[in-house]
Amino acid sequence: MPNSLTYTLVITGAPWTTQAPQTALMFARAALSAGHRIDRVFLYGEGVHLASNLSSPPSDEIHWPHEWAGFLTEHGIPAAACIASALRRGLVDETEQARYELTANNLRSPFVIAGLGEWVEGNLTSNKALYFHGGN
Amino acid sequence: MTTLIVIDQAPYGSWAGREALDMAFSLAAFDQPAAMLFTGAGVNWLRKGQQPASVGQKSAEKNLSAAPLFGIEVLVADKRACQHYGLDEAEMLSGVELSDNIQDLLSSHNQVVFAG
Repeated sequence: MPNSLTYTLVITGAPWTTQAPQTALMFARAALSAGHRIDRVFLYGEGVHLASNLSSPPSDEIHWPHEWAGFLTEHGIPAAACIASALRRGLVDETEQARYELTANNLRSPFVIAGLGEWVEGNLTSNKALYFHGGN
Repeated sequence: MTTLIVIDQAPYGSWAGREALDMAFSLAAFDQPAAMLFTGAGVNWLRKGQQPASVGQKSAEKNLSAAPLFGIEVLVADKRACQHYGLDEAEMLSGVELSDNIQDLLSSHNQVVFAG
Protein backbone atom coordinates (compact mmCIF):
# COMPACT_ATOMS: atom_id res chain seq x y z
CA MET A 1 0.00 0.00 0.00
CA PRO A 2 1.38 3.45 -0.90
CA ASN A 3 2.42 5.94 1.79
CA SER A 4 -0.11 8.43 0.53
CA LEU A 5 -3.67 7.10 0.73
CA THR A 6 -6.97 8.17 -0.76
CA TYR A 7 -10.13 8.14 1.34
CA THR A 8 -13.87 8.16 0.96
CA LEU A 9 -15.52 9.43 4.15
CA VAL A 10 -19.05 8.33 4.98
CA ILE A 11 -20.87 10.30 7.67
CA THR A 12 -24.06 8.81 9.12
CA GLY A 13 -24.41 10.84 12.32
CA ALA A 14 -26.17 14.23 12.36
CA PRO A 15 -24.56 17.39 13.74
CA TRP A 16 -25.71 18.39 17.25
CA THR A 17 -27.01 14.88 17.74
CA THR A 18 -23.73 13.03 17.42
CA GLN A 19 -20.03 13.77 17.32
CA ALA A 20 -19.68 12.12 13.88
CA PRO A 21 -19.40 15.26 11.69
CA GLN A 22 -16.75 16.89 13.86
CA THR A 23 -14.73 13.69 14.26
CA ALA A 24 -14.85 13.27 10.48
CA LEU A 25 -13.73 16.86 9.92
CA MET A 26 -10.83 16.49 12.33
CA PHE A 27 -9.82 13.29 10.59
CA ALA A 28 -10.08 14.93 7.17
CA ARG A 29 -7.89 17.87 8.19
CA ALA A 30 -5.32 15.55 9.77
CA ALA A 31 -5.30 13.29 6.71
CA LEU A 32 -4.66 16.19 4.32
CA SER A 33 -1.92 17.63 6.48
CA ALA A 34 -0.24 14.20 6.53
CA GLY A 35 -0.23 14.17 2.70
CA HIS A 36 -3.22 11.91 2.11
CA ARG A 37 -6.17 12.72 -0.14
CA ILE A 38 -9.92 12.81 0.48
CA ASP A 39 -11.61 11.66 -2.74
CA ARG A 40 -15.15 12.37 -1.62
CA VAL A 41 -17.51 12.70 1.29
CA PHE A 42 -20.83 10.84 1.35
CA LEU A 43 -23.62 11.71 3.77
CA TYR A 44 -25.98 8.87 4.60
CA GLY A 45 -28.91 8.42 6.97
CA GLU A 46 -28.98 11.11 9.65
CA GLY A 47 -25.68 12.42 8.30
CA VAL A 48 -27.54 14.33 5.57
CA HIS A 49 -28.48 17.02 8.10
CA LEU A 50 -24.89 18.24 7.79
CA ALA A 51 -25.79 19.58 4.34
CA SER A 52 -28.65 21.79 5.54
CA ASN A 53 -28.56 25.48 4.78
CA LEU A 54 -31.07 26.21 7.53
CA SER A 55 -29.19 25.05 10.63
CA SER A 56 -28.82 28.03 12.95
CA PRO A 57 -26.98 27.11 16.14
CA PRO A 58 -26.41 29.63 18.95
CA SER A 59 -23.58 32.01 18.07
CA ASP A 60 -21.23 30.55 20.70
CA GLU A 61 -21.41 27.07 19.12
CA ILE A 62 -19.45 25.90 16.12
CA HIS A 63 -21.54 25.82 12.96
CA TRP A 64 -20.62 22.37 11.61
CA PRO A 65 -22.38 22.61 8.22
CA HIS A 66 -20.62 25.93 7.64
CA GLU A 67 -17.25 24.50 8.78
CA TRP A 68 -17.63 21.46 6.54
CA ALA A 69 -18.75 23.48 3.52
CA GLY A 70 -15.74 25.77 3.91
CA PHE A 71 -13.35 22.84 4.17
CA LEU A 72 -14.83 21.12 1.10
CA THR A 73 -14.70 24.30 -0.99
CA GLU A 74 -11.17 25.20 0.08
CA HIS A 75 -9.84 21.79 -0.91
CA GLY A 76 -12.11 21.10 -3.89
CA ILE A 77 -13.48 17.90 -2.37
CA PRO A 78 -16.82 16.68 -3.79
CA ALA A 79 -19.51 15.83 -1.25
CA ALA A 80 -22.90 14.24 -1.80
CA ALA A 81 -25.94 13.54 0.36
CA CYS A 82 -27.79 10.31 -0.39
CA ILE A 83 -31.00 11.19 -2.20
CA ALA A 84 -33.23 8.69 -0.40
CA SER A 85 -31.91 9.71 3.03
CA ALA A 86 -32.14 13.40 2.12
CA LEU A 87 -35.70 13.39 0.75
CA ARG A 88 -37.03 11.51 3.77
CA ARG A 89 -35.48 14.06 6.07
CA GLY A 90 -36.50 17.22 4.26
CA LEU A 91 -33.20 18.08 2.64
CA VAL A 92 -33.76 19.11 -0.98
CA ASP A 93 -32.02 20.96 -3.78
CA GLU A 94 -33.73 23.02 -6.49
CA THR A 95 -34.28 20.01 -8.74
CA GLU A 96 -36.02 17.99 -6.04
CA GLN A 97 -37.99 21.05 -4.93
CA ALA A 98 -39.38 21.33 -8.45
CA ARG A 99 -39.95 17.58 -8.83
CA TYR A 100 -41.95 17.28 -5.59
CA GLU A 101 -43.47 20.76 -5.83
CA LEU A 102 -42.08 21.79 -2.44
CA THR A 103 -42.13 25.31 -1.05
CA ALA A 104 -38.38 25.62 -0.47
CA ASN A 105 -34.96 24.10 -0.93
CA ASN A 106 -32.21 23.98 1.65
CA LEU A 107 -29.13 22.23 0.30
CA ARG A 108 -25.93 23.98 1.32
CA SER A 109 -23.29 24.50 -1.38
CA PRO A 110 -21.00 22.70 -2.30
CA PHE A 111 -22.98 19.61 -1.24
CA VAL A 112 -24.95 17.87 -3.99
CA ILE A 113 -27.68 15.24 -3.87
CA ALA A 114 -26.81 11.89 -5.42
CA GLY A 115 -27.61 8.19 -5.29
CA LEU A 116 -25.88 5.39 -3.45
CA GLY A 117 -23.90 4.83 -6.66
CA GLU A 118 -21.61 7.63 -5.44
CA TRP A 119 -20.89 5.59 -2.34
CA VAL A 120 -20.31 2.43 -4.39
CA GLU A 121 -17.87 4.32 -6.61
CA GLY A 122 -16.07 5.70 -3.57
CA ASN A 123 -15.62 2.17 -2.27
CA LEU A 124 -14.11 1.10 -5.57
CA THR A 125 -11.81 4.04 -6.23
CA SER A 126 -10.46 5.06 -2.82
CA ASN A 127 -7.83 3.07 -0.94
CA LYS A 128 -10.05 3.18 2.12
CA ALA A 129 -13.64 4.03 3.00
CA LEU A 130 -14.07 5.28 6.56
CA TYR A 131 -17.40 5.49 8.40
CA PHE A 132 -18.33 8.07 11.01
CA HIS A 133 -21.40 6.85 12.89
CA GLY A 134 -23.52 8.35 15.59
CA GLY A 135 -23.31 5.23 17.69
CA ASN A 136 -26.84 4.63 18.94
CA MET B 1 -13.63 -6.24 -3.75
CA THR B 2 -16.18 -7.90 -1.48
CA THR B 3 -18.31 -6.03 1.02
CA LEU B 4 -20.07 -7.41 4.06
CA ILE B 5 -22.99 -5.33 5.26
CA VAL B 6 -23.71 -5.94 8.94
CA ILE B 7 -27.07 -5.43 10.64
CA ASP B 8 -26.84 -5.60 14.41
CA GLN B 9 -29.98 -3.73 15.44
CA ALA B 10 -33.54 -4.98 15.69
CA PRO B 11 -35.92 -4.03 12.88
CA TYR B 12 -38.45 -1.18 13.16
CA GLY B 13 -36.83 0.63 16.12
CA SER B 14 -34.55 2.70 13.92
CA TRP B 15 -33.94 3.25 10.22
CA ALA B 16 -30.33 2.07 10.30
CA GLY B 17 -31.10 -1.51 9.32
CA ARG B 18 -33.30 -0.45 6.43
CA GLU B 19 -30.58 1.87 5.19
CA ALA B 20 -28.03 -0.94 5.52
CA LEU B 21 -30.28 -3.06 3.34
CA ASP B 22 -30.38 -0.28 0.73
CA MET B 23 -26.58 -0.24 0.73
CA ALA B 24 -26.44 -3.99 0.05
CA PHE B 25 -28.97 -3.72 -2.80
CA SER B 26 -27.08 -0.79 -4.24
CA LEU B 27 -23.80 -2.72 -4.35
CA ALA B 28 -25.58 -5.60 -6.03
CA ALA B 29 -27.19 -3.21 -8.56
CA PHE B 30 -23.69 -2.05 -9.54
CA ASP B 31 -22.50 -5.66 -9.82
CA GLN B 32 -20.31 -5.43 -6.75
CA PRO B 33 -20.07 -8.53 -4.57
CA ALA B 34 -22.09 -8.02 -1.40
CA ALA B 35 -23.10 -10.25 1.48
CA MET B 36 -25.07 -9.53 4.63
CA LEU B 37 -24.50 -10.58 8.21
CA PHE B 38 -27.24 -10.42 10.85
CA THR B 39 -25.92 -10.46 14.36
CA GLY B 40 -27.03 -9.40 17.85
CA ALA B 41 -30.61 -8.12 17.83
CA GLY B 42 -30.27 -7.83 14.05
CA VAL B 43 -31.16 -11.52 13.63
CA ASN B 44 -34.78 -10.54 14.27
CA TRP B 45 -34.87 -9.15 10.72
CA LEU B 46 -34.89 -12.77 9.60
CA ARG B 47 -38.08 -13.83 11.39
CA LYS B 48 -40.91 -15.11 9.22
CA GLY B 49 -44.32 -13.51 9.37
CA GLN B 50 -43.39 -9.99 10.45
CA GLN B 51 -46.43 -7.69 10.58
CA PRO B 52 -45.05 -4.17 10.90
CA ALA B 53 -48.11 -2.51 9.31
CA SER B 54 -49.54 -2.08 12.82
CA VAL B 55 -46.62 0.22 13.68
CA GLY B 56 -46.87 2.01 10.34
CA GLN B 57 -43.85 0.43 8.70
CA LYS B 58 -43.21 -1.68 5.63
CA SER B 59 -42.08 -5.27 6.04
CA ALA B 60 -38.52 -6.03 5.04
CA GLU B 61 -39.34 -9.71 4.62
CA LYS B 62 -40.09 -9.45 0.89
CA ASN B 63 -36.91 -7.47 0.25
CA LEU B 64 -34.81 -9.97 2.17
CA SER B 65 -36.42 -12.94 0.42
CA ALA B 66 -35.60 -11.30 -2.92
CA ALA B 67 -32.00 -10.54 -1.99
CA PRO B 68 -30.49 -13.49 -3.91
CA LEU B 69 -32.47 -12.52 -7.03
CA PHE B 70 -31.01 -9.03 -6.86
CA GLY B 71 -27.49 -10.40 -6.68
CA ILE B 72 -26.72 -10.34 -2.96
CA GLU B 73 -24.49 -13.34 -2.60
CA VAL B 74 -25.46 -14.63 0.80
CA LEU B 75 -27.42 -13.79 3.93
CA VAL B 76 -25.70 -15.08 7.05
CA ALA B 77 -27.12 -15.25 10.57
CA ASP B 78 -24.94 -15.43 13.64
CA LYS B 79 -25.97 -18.76 15.17
CA ARG B 80 -25.27 -17.70 18.73
CA ALA B 81 -27.42 -14.57 18.35
CA CYS B 82 -30.24 -16.71 16.90
CA GLN B 83 -30.11 -18.95 19.97
CA HIS B 84 -30.04 -15.92 22.23
CA TYR B 85 -33.20 -14.52 20.62
CA GLY B 86 -34.95 -17.90 20.40
CA LEU B 87 -34.96 -17.89 16.62
CA ASP B 88 -34.81 -21.40 15.24
CA GLU B 89 -34.52 -22.35 11.60
CA ALA B 90 -38.21 -23.17 11.24
CA GLU B 91 -39.09 -19.57 12.09
CA MET B 92 -36.46 -18.08 9.84
CA LEU B 93 -36.71 -16.90 6.25
CA SER B 94 -35.50 -19.58 3.86
CA GLY B 95 -32.08 -19.40 2.28
CA VAL B 96 -30.26 -17.95 5.29
CA GLU B 97 -26.95 -19.54 6.24
CA LEU B 98 -26.11 -20.01 9.90
CA SER B 99 -22.58 -19.29 11.02
CA ASP B 100 -20.82 -20.61 14.11
CA ASN B 101 -17.84 -18.43 13.46
CA ILE B 102 -18.53 -14.93 12.25
CA GLN B 103 -14.88 -14.02 12.78
CA ASP B 104 -13.97 -15.98 9.65
CA LEU B 105 -16.76 -14.27 7.74
CA LEU B 106 -15.58 -10.81 8.80
CA SER B 107 -11.99 -11.51 7.82
CA SER B 108 -12.96 -12.97 4.43
CA HIS B 109 -14.32 -9.60 3.19
CA ASN B 110 -12.32 -6.56 2.08
CA GLN B 111 -14.82 -4.21 3.63
CA VAL B 112 -17.19 -4.52 6.55
CA VAL B 113 -19.88 -1.87 6.73
CA PHE B 114 -22.43 -0.89 9.38
CA ALA B 115 -25.08 1.59 8.28
CA GLY B 116 -25.00 3.42 11.60
